[in-house]
Amino acid sequence: MKRLGFRYEMRLKLDQAVWDHHFLIRCRPMESARQQRERMSVKIEPADFVSEVKDGFGNEGYAGSAKKPHDSLLAVAEGVVRVDIGGTSDPVHPMYRFPSAFTMPGEDIRRFFGETRLEPGWPAGKEGSGSRRMGRKELMYMMNRLYGRFVYSPGATTVETTAEEALALGKGVCQDYAHVFISLCRLAGIPARYVAGMMLGEGASHAWVEVWLEDGWLGMDPTNNRLVDETYIKLTHGRDFRDGSIDRGRFLGFAGQSQEICVKVEEII
Amino acid sequence: MLPMRDMVEHMEGINRLMARYGVKFGIYKNREFHEQLFPFDPLPRVIGRDEFSYLEKGLAQRVDALNCFLADIYGGKKIVKDGVIPEDFIFSSKGYLPQCEGMVPPKKIYSHISGIDLVQAKDGDWYILEDNLRIPSGASYPMIARELTRQASPRTFMKNHVADNRNYAGMLKEVMDHVNTGGINVVLTPGRYNAAFFEHSYLAERSGAILAMPQDLYVENNRLYYRQYQGKQLQVGTVYRRLSDEYLDPLCFEPGSLIGVPGIMDVYRSGNVALVNAPGNGVADDKGIYYFVPHMVKYYLGEEAILKNAPTYLAFYEEDRKYILEHLERLVVKDVSEAGGYGVVFGRDLTREKLEGLKKIIMGEPRRFIAQEVIDFIDLDIVEGDGSVPRKADLRAFVLSGKGTKVWPSGLTRFSRNPDSFVVNSSQGGGFKDTWVLSQ
Repeated sequence: MKRLGFRYEMRLKLDQAVWDHHFLIRCRPMESARQQRERMSVKIEPADFVSEVKDGFGNEGYAGSAKKPHDSLLAVAEGVVRVDIGGTSDPVHPMYRFPSAFTMPGEDIRRFFGETRLEPGWPAGKEGSGSRRMGRKELMYMMNRLYGRFVYSPGATTVETTAEEALALGKGVCQDYAHVFISLCRLAGIPARYVAGMMLGEGASHAWVEVWLEDGWLGMDPTNNRLVDETYIKLTHGRDFRDGSIDRGRFLGFAGQSQEICVKVEEII
Repeated sequence: MLPMRDMVEHMEGINRLMARYGVKFGIYKNREFHEQLFPFDPLPRVIGRDEFSYLEKGLAQRVDALNCFLADIYGGKKIVKDGVIPEDFIFSSKGYLPQCEGMVPPKKIYSHISGIDLVQAKDGDWYILEDNLRIPSGASYPMIARELTRQASPRTFMKNHVADNRNYAGMLKEVMDHVNTGGINVVLTPGRYNAAFFEHSYLAERSGAILAMPQDLYVENNRLYYRQYQGKQLQVGTVYRRLSDEYLDPLCFEPGSLIGVPGIMDVYRSGNVALVNAPGNGVADDKGIYYFVPHMVKYYLGEEAILKNAPTYLAFYEEDRKYILEHLERLVVKDVSEAGGYGVVFGRDLTREKLEGLKKIIMGEPRRFIAQEVIDFIDLDIVEGDGSVPRKADLRAFVLSGKGTKVWPSGLTRFSRNPDSFVVNSSQGGGFKDTWVLSQ
């Protein structure tokens, strides 16, 4: 078990004033057997009111609005979370078995899937004879193959890039690694979900994958080719990026916008 | 029914009046919005009292089962766990919205207004063609047509005992009041360029609700309010929304939606407003799920379905797929992800080459297709020139679920103007008739 102190800061800069701004910021670490919130505080400016909300996926966050004209929005969440190694055993929802908008496999992913079997021709899940399911070892092999095939390259993709497009490009960021890996897992008949969260250190937010193996969810981080341990703080999950996005909002006005996210996670000993 | 002559004589006048009132139907063709008149034919479809009471029982039963199904899918999912419906048909359906998981709508009603499409076969049997549980439109057309024909030909309605259908607005108000969580009733329209804008304004006016555009509604402290011009806050208790799920709330669904009401889904989840119909209902009116509705009736209500489905085959099941591939030339194939008469192909219209192509598509994506026997449904006469000609027609029945489940004693009869077509959807350029239910 580790105690992790975190700070999530999101700053939205607008090049002219906007008004009637409604936002949803899901920066509240989800409670589970794996992680518990010890304490947490949140500050959102400007805001007329803020309420705590929970959605259909189990994600928690803060919804509110800022009606008067403003040219920036700042959200800062700080707190301490206790994280255990290992996964969670919340029951698997059937929606995580099926392709979603961003993880629909196309020709490239199907072909690549064929190259990621630990033993050539080894049948897996739905597409194979179904006699044996992939386990941790096979999934790690698949993740390793993806890691070898993909180049981490910020700017090569956008938030709208699908798994199929990303694999064709062969490069992307954590969101793309996660989408491709989810697509592969679901092809193999393994339920998989998209996770957004934070990692030990300083930088941006991160995304990884949880896969369902008979007895629970196992966190896998295809961007770093490793299993998720107690240095990861989970914020949201969903079928893909769209379900799991941390920040959403809508305002009135004609401003151009830029968003900066600064995450800091450190171990408290 | 001699007095009907009056109505035929008044046909032009009635259509002219309806055009002036804005009784129109908008369709998008090549990404352009076209508004067209929805032509009214004065010869009504007539349904006898006994026949209607049979339909009434069957329709209420079906809608009750569909409501149980929706509560189950967004709740315990027993029907899936018990193996009655494969999860493929639910959780990979476009209409299934995980955002609605665990939400329990006020009074536990999901489909308040259901539009059930039926046809009557030549042997007199009725078949369900489709369930519409999202935002079925069309009730306003027979309402206004009845009003105008009563004025044009009062004698007709003195001589024939026709159940009054002008109470639809009252039934609608009863449903909105029943689920209301405290506040006013509003009809939420996406606006003037929606295909059914006339209906939105007409139903709001008749049911005493306020017609609201998305920008008139706003969320504050987990409550929904209507913006009055005087600046006064009016809390909203029921939203009869004519805006589809994906555009309802940009913070919950389609993030790019400019027409939604941000935060409305959180208010709904907290039980502080009723949405009519509930978001997420699309999972129950999918063409693939249609196949399972008789199973639902049995599973939830322990009864046999009174109204039959058209004989349907699911390409998903190997045995059915084999049947479809062998008999494709006499079946009608439907793409489950399309609506409004799009994605419907009649095997008999295809060349040998195209049939083979379709077979390949079906085999590639079996989950996407259902096939049905073509029902030879009855023709109804429509006026043409000085005489009349027979045309294919269906019936959309409106079932309202509030305190109880009630079937509106009328309905929208749509006909195809093309003599060879079986597709009667208004978006495909058909016309409509009034539907008379005889009261004795």
